[in-house]
Amino acid sequence: MAEKLETASEVDQGPQTVGGIGGIGGGDGVAGVGGGTAAGGGAAGPVVTSYGSWWRIRLSLLRRSVHDNWVIFRRNRMGIAGLVIIGFWMLMAVMPSLFFATGFWNRAVYDPVTGLETDPPTRTVIMVERVTDPRTEIDRRAVLMDGRIPSDLGLGDTFELPLQPAPPNSRHWLGTDPLGRDVLSQLMHGARSSFFLGILAATVTVVIATLVGSVAAYYGGVIDSLLMRLADLLIMIPGLALLIVIGSVVTFQLWHLAMVIGILSGFGGTAVVLKSQALAVKVKPFVDAARVAGGTGRHIVLYHLIPSVMPLSVLYMMFTVTAAIQSEAVLSFLGLLNVDTSWGLMIQLAHTQGYLLQAGEFWWLVFPAGLAVTLLAMAFFLLGRGLDEVINPRLRRR
Amino acid sequence: MVVLFFVFLTVTWFLLYALPGDSVAQQFAGNPNIPPEARQVALERLGLDKSPLIQFRDYMTDFFRGDLGVSFSQYPRPVIDIIAERLPRTVVLFLTAMVTYYWAGFLAGKYLAWKRGRRGETLITVSGVGLYTVFMPWFALMLIWLFSVQLDLLPLSKFLDPVEWREAPFAANQVFMRMFWVTVTASVVLCAVGWASARAVDRRWGRLLRWGGGVLVIAGFVGYWYGTQPGQAMRVYAGDIAYHLILPVMTLTLVNFAGVMLLTRSSMLDTMREDFILTARAKGLPERVVRDRHAARTALLPVATSLTLAVATVIDGGVITETVFSWPGMGQILVSSVQLEDIPLAVGAFSFIGVLALIGHFVADMLYGLLDPRIRVTEHG
Amino acid sequence: MELRTPPHLEAEVPAEQRLPLLEVDGLVVRYTTDAGDVSAVEDVSFSLSGGEAMGLVGESGCGKTSVALSLLRLAPENASYPSGSIRWEGVDILGMSSEEVRRLRWSEMSMVFQGAMNAWNPVYRVGHQIREAMDQHFEPRLTAVEADRRLAWLFELVGLDKVTADRYPHELSGGMRQRALIAMALSCEPKLVVADEPTTALDVIVQAQILRELKDIQTDLGLAILYISHDMAVIAQVTDILAVMYAGKLVESGPTREVFRHPRHPYTHLLLSSVPSVVGPRRPPVCLDGVPPDPLDPPSGCRFHPRCPLATRRCRQEEPPLEPVGPEHLVACWHSAEMSGMGESRLDVKVSGG
Repeated sequence: MAEKLETASEVDQGPQTVGGIGGIGGGDGVAGVGGGTAAGGGAAGPVVTSYGSWWRIRLSLLRRSVHDNWVIFRRNRMGIAGLVIIGFWMLMAVMPSLFFATGFWNRAVYDPVTGLETDPPTRTVIMVERVTDPRTEIDRRAVLMDGRIPSDLGLGDTFELPLQPAPPNSRHWLGTDPLGRDVLSQLMHGARSSFFLGILAATVTVVIATLVGSVAAYYGGVIDSLLMRLADLLIMIPGLALLIVIGSVVTFQLWHLAMVIGILSGFGGTAVVLKSQALAVKVKPFVDAARVAGGTGRHIVLYHLIPSVMPLSVLYMMFTVTAAIQSEAVLSFLGLLNVDTSWGLMIQLAHTQGYLLQAGEFWWLVFPAGLAVTLLAMAFFLLGRGLDEVINPRLRRR
Repeated sequence: MVVLFFVFLTVTWFLLYALPGDSVAQQFAGNPNIPPEARQVALERLGLDKSPLIQFRDYMTDFFRGDLGVSFSQYPRPVIDIIAERLPRTVVLFLTAMVTYYWAGFLAGKYLAWKRGRRGETLITVSGVGLYTVFMPWFALMLIWLFSVQLDLLPLSKFLDPVEWREAPFAANQVFMRMFWVTVTASVVLCAVGWASARAVDRRWGRLLRWGGGVLVIAGFVGYWYGTQPGQAMRVYAGDIAYHLILPVMTLTLVNFAGVMLLTRSSMLDTMREDFILTARAKGLPERVVRDRHAARTALLPVATSLTLAVATVIDGGVITETVFSWPGMGQILVSSVQLEDIPLAVGAFSFIGVLALIGHFVADMLYGLLDPRIRVTEHG
Repeated sequence: MELRTPPHLEAEVPAEQRLPLLEVDGLVVRYTTDAGDVSAVEDVSFSLSGGEAMGLVGESGCGKTSVALSLLRLAPENASYPSGSIRWEGVDILGMSSEEVRRLRWSEMSMVFQGAMNAWNPVYRVGHQIREAMDQHFEPRLTAVEADRRLAWLFELVGLDKVTADRYPHELSGGMRQRALIAMALSCEPKLVVADEPTTALDVIVQAQILRELKDIQTDLGLAILYISHDMAVIAQVTDILAVMYAGKLVESGPTREVFRHPRHPYTHLLLSSVPSVVGPRRPPVCLDGVPPDPLDPPSGCRFHPRCPLATRRCRQEEPPLEPVGPEHLVACWHSAEMSGMGESRLDVKVSGG
C-alpha cells in the first residue's frame, strides 16, 4: 500500500512513498499527528499537493494535541501569570486606537509625541522675599528665570504656576511628562512599539535559527563547523555593545533594530540549541528510512527536522522577545534609537531632565515606564518557562 | 581562539569603516573638535584616501602594533592611552561583580533547595525572574535614588569625589592601580592558600592552613593600608574610590544574582534526587557534608556552564551601569564615543570589550573543565 | 591488616544459639502523600543472624525496598513508622538519635544499591569516595598509607585492579562499578550488607560472576547479607533463608531449600513456576494475571485474593496470619495445607546447600 504523495514543488528522486513515511515520521511532539495522517491516508488517501497543504493537515491534527497541552500548561502558575500580563499589555496597546476613534481622546492633547496639554493643573504660589517653602513660595530669581511668570509680579502677589509635568489628575490618569504629553498615552503606544519589535525580532530569530540548526544538523561537516563557529562568536560577543556600535553608523529605526536583533540571535545561541534538537531527531530510524526511500536532504530537513524542532523554536521565541524588549529599551534610553514613542525614551526624558532623582515626587514619570519594560520582559520569560514544561516533559512536576 | 579574534576584528572594522552610510571620512570632516589644519593630515594618516583593502591591512597591522589611532573627542590623545587607563577599571568592576553574584547566588540557591525543596517555587521563580529581567538603567537609577538621594548612604555617581581630591598628591589612576595590584596580590595568595589546604594530606592541617592563611592575608591587606608608608598616604583616596564602587557593583550583582540563584536551586533539586546522595547519606556522612561536598559540588556543573554565557551578559550590564553612574570605564567610553561620533575611540573600545569577552569566555570554559572530570581528556582510558 | 574473625568461625556456636543480629518486628511503614496515606509495609517480621544470607523477594512495589531503606533509616522524609521495631543487636534503630544512626551506618550495616551507575558521585574518584566512608568511621583515622593498603585489599577482594581507586566512575564499566560499590560497602567491616538488586543492571554473565564472588566474600568474612530482589533464580543460589513479600505483607518465609521445594503460598508457587526452566521437559510458563494492588486502597482480607487461583470467600474477608507449617517455615494463607499437596515446584535451579 504505497501512499502516493505528489509533491509538485519538490524534485524528489525515486518512488513517491517518501511523503507517506514523512507522514508517519515527524517530530516527537507531533508524532501522533503524523501517525494520524498515515492511518487516515491508508483509508481515503488525501493527496497533498504542496508543502503548504501538508502543513495544514498537520496543523489541524495539532489542534487536538494543543488542547491536551493546554491542560498541562494551565497547571503552571508562572506561565499563566506571564500570559495574563501579556494580555494586559496587549489590551493597553489596542486601547489608544479605540480612544482616538471614539473621540474620547483628542489627538491634539493626547498624542504621545505631539500632544500638548494646554490647560494644565496649577498650583498657587506666593511671591516672597526669601523662600522657606519652595512648594508654595517663589522669589524674585524664580520670577526672572521662569518665563511663564509675569516679570512684574510683586511681593505678596500670588500666581497660578502651571504644573508641568503634572501629577495624575482626572484628565490625565497618569499625569503628563515635562513636555506636556499624556503619560498614559505614551505608555500605551510604547506597548505597541515593544510588541511590534519583540514579535518581529523573535520571528526572524526563529526562522533563521530553525533553518540554521536543521541544516547544520543534517549536513554536518564543514557547513556545520562554519555555522557553529559563527554561533560561538555571536554568543561570546556582548550583544548590547555590538548594537551600540552598530547604532553609531546606522540610525536605527524600530524595524531595523528588530531585524538586526533577529539576525544576531538567529545565528547565535538559539541556533545551537535547535541544532542539538534537530540532531536528536536526525538519528532516529525514520529519518534513515526516509533517506533510503530516496528523500533528498532538503526534503528531510523540511519535512522531518524542522517540524520536530518547531516546538522548541516557539519556546525560544519567548526568550528572544524578552531580550529584544530589553535591548530596545536600553538603546532608546541611550538615545540611539530613532523611534517615536518607547518606554526607554520616557525614562530617558525623565533622566535628562533630572526627574529620576526626584522619584518620590515625580513618581508617575519614573515608575510606570520602568515597570512596564520590566513587566513585559518578565511576562514573556515566564511564559517561556511555562511552555518549557509543556515541551520538555522531563521538567514536569513528578 | 586567535582565529575568532581575527574574525571579530574584521567584523568590527567592516562595521565601522566599510559600511555604506555615514562613513568615517564624512564624520571626520564634520567633527568640530578637530582643528581644520589637522584634518587633512589626519585624513592621510587615517589612510582614508587609500583603497579599502589597504585600509584594512593597515588597520590590522596598526592594531597589533598598539596603534589604534587618535581620538576625535579627546584630540590629540591616542586611543590606546585612553583604553589603557580604563580597561583595568572595567576589569575590576566586572570581576568583582561576577565573583560576588555567583558566590551569593550559588549559596542562596543551595540553601533554598536544601531547606525548602519545592515549596514556594512559583514565588521564588517569579521574583527571581523579575529581578533578572528588570530594566537595568531604570533599576540602577532607582538604586541611586534610594541609596543616594533618599538615604544619603552612598555617592551619587562617578569614580570619585572631585572635592575630596582637590589637594591630592596622587593621580586617580595611580591610586586605582595601586589598589588593583594590592588586591590582586592578596587574592592570588588567598587562592594559593586555598589550593594548598585542599591538597593537604591530613584534613586537620588543611583546615589550619586555610583559616590561618586567610587570617594572615586579611591582616596583610589591612596592614598595608594602615602600616606601610605608601599605603597610609593613599588610604583616604583609595577609600573614596572604593566607596564609589559600591553602588555600581551592587547594581550589577543584584540583577544577575537572581539568575544564578534560580539555576542553582533547580540544579540542586535535580541533584538531590540522585542515587549518589542516598549513598553518601548511607555512608553515615553528616548532612552538611552530603549537602556541600556531594549535592552542591555536583549541582555546580550546570551553574559553571552558565558562567561562559554570563560573561557577555555581565559586560553588557557593565556598559549600562557605567553609563548610568558616569563611572569612567570601558563601557562608559564606548557609549560616549558612539554618541560623540568618535569612531577610532569607539572601534578601540569595542575591540577591547570584545577581547575581554573572549578571554572571559575561555577562562570560564577552562574553569568548567577543572570542575567536571568527565570532559577532561585523560591519559588513561 | 587486621580482619575481624568471622563469628561463625570463632567458637563453635550452634545455629540455634546464635544471637540474632537484626530483628524486624511487626514493622509498619507508611508514606504520607498528596493522594493520601500509603501503607508500604504492613506488619513484616523476620530476623537475621550473623553469617546468614537471607533473601527478600517480591514484585516491584511490594515494599521490599522500603524495608531495606528503613533498616538504615534512609527512607524519604514522608515516611513514618506507626508501629513495629527494627532491632539491631537489641537496640531499636527507629528510636535512635540521628547521631547514633550515623554511627551505625556503614560501620555496622551497609548497603549496595540498585543501579550502580548512579550510586557514584561523578566528580570524585572512586578511591576518594571509599576513603570518605572510612574516614568517617575509623577511630582513630587511618593514615594515608593504611588507607591505601586497605583499598588495595578491598579491591582484590572484589576482583578489581587497585588502580581503580584513581579512576572516576565514568571511566569504569557497569560491572566494575558494581564491584567497586561492593568494595565500598565492605570498607568499614560491617556485620550486615543489604544488597538491593545488586545485579539487575548487569548482563547475565557478569551477574553470575558477581553473585559467586559475593557468596565467597560472605563466607570468608562471616558477613550477614540481606538480598533484595524480584529475581527468584538469583536469590536461590546465594541465600540460606528466603522471605516472600506481597503488597507490603510477608506471605511466606523459611529456609530457601524448603521454600523452593515446597512452596506453601500460592503466590510463591506461581512466582517459582513462572520462571522457565532450561532443563527438563518443555512446559508452558505459568503467568500471574493482574497487577499488584493499589497501595492506597489495598484489597480486603488476604491481599492476594484478587489474583489467587485458590481464593475463597474466607480469603476475601479475613487476613490469614503467618503460621508455621514446617521447621522455621512460615506461611500466611488459608490454603497452605492444600499447597503441600502440590508436590515439588517446577523450578530446576540449583539451590544453595547452605
